[in-house]
Amino acid sequence: MADYFGEMGWTPLEDGQAPDHFLHFARLLRDFNMFDELNAMNGAKLAPPASKSAVEALPDESVTAKDSQCPVCLKEHVQGETAKKLPCGHLYHNDCILPWLSKTNSCPLCRHELPTDDEDYEAWRKEKKRAKEREIDIENLHNSMFS
Amino acid sequence: MANIAAQRIKREFKEVIKSEEVAKCAIKLELLNDSYTELKGEIAGPPDTPYEGGNFVLEIRVPETYPFNPPKVRFITKIWHPNISSVTGAICLDILKDQWAAAMTLRTVLLSLQALLSAAEPDDPQDAVVARQYKENLEMFKLTAKHWTNVYAGGPFVNSDCDDKIKRLIDMGIEEHQARVALSSYNWVLERATEQLFS
Repeated sequence: MADYFGEMGWTPLEDGQAPDHFLHFARLLRDFNMFDELNAMNGAKLAPPASKSAVEALPDESVTAKDSQCPVCLKEHVQGETAKKLPCGHLYHNDCILPWLSKTNSCPLCRHELPTDDEDYEAWRKEKKRAKEREIDIENLHNSMFS
Repeated sequence: MANIAAQRIKREFKEVIKSEEVAKCAIKLELLNDSYTELKGEIAGPPDTPYEGGNFVLEIRVPETYPFNPPKVRFITKIWHPNISSVTGAICLDILKDQWAAAMTLRTVLLSLQALLSAAEPDDPQDAVVARQYKENLEMFKLTAKHWTNVYAGGPFVNSDCDDKIKRLIDMGIEEHQARVALSSYNWVLERATEQLFS
């Protein structure tokens, strides 16, 4: 059996060494998601930019629909001009969507998210998705037990 | 100013003028300069709220990076609301901060602010005093918000009890707005407001 300290990734205290209370406090904050709360309170936390590869992979499409408008500059699309198409299907001028995606990763119209190059953000997003799935799983389990 | 920002405001301005909300007098938008960087907004207090019948004036500043960054908006009209500072008029609303999206417009911002007046978020406050009153004594909050709407935004509900208490403090040499803030913060208990003002 691996020893307790090794498993937790900790080092036991030497004789005469005092525990680091700041470290414990920081762990406490982390375990209760307090850092997220702090971030949320600061407010200015915008999702990170879309990943370069995802932006490069966006298809160019020629606009065929009549009376369609680029949601960023609000100009009407001229028929036949090329526009970037996001995975959610929304069309934007090149010059309009690229500055936005270099700031944050979502569609300005529907908030559909593109992948990012930010590992922390991706981990957080995965965690959030997993939490949602878990909730659904539990709900399904309960329903199957009591129906 | 960057061209895209000015051009967009121009288009938006036309959109707002034509919108049905303007026709219903629910929102209003005015240009304050030729470069489309400063505007004046106006929203009507939503029905069935303490703000009903009031008209609230907003200062709108459009940054050069608009629409990639949100416009800076604050209330000029003094207002009693958990998410709006009763001192500066600063607004706590996610879409004006981290939830901004480039497809939003001045029209959607004004409508969101109007929605904020009908649905306060006391757990994400801008004004701690107002938010505490909202959570602990909702009736007192409604009374206070109605009174402020009456005094500053032209709302119809006159509250003679509030007016009398303010008059009492004015007679003691306190400035009117200061008196109103103190009374509002202390649930209109004259003794406590007086104590705070003279301590």
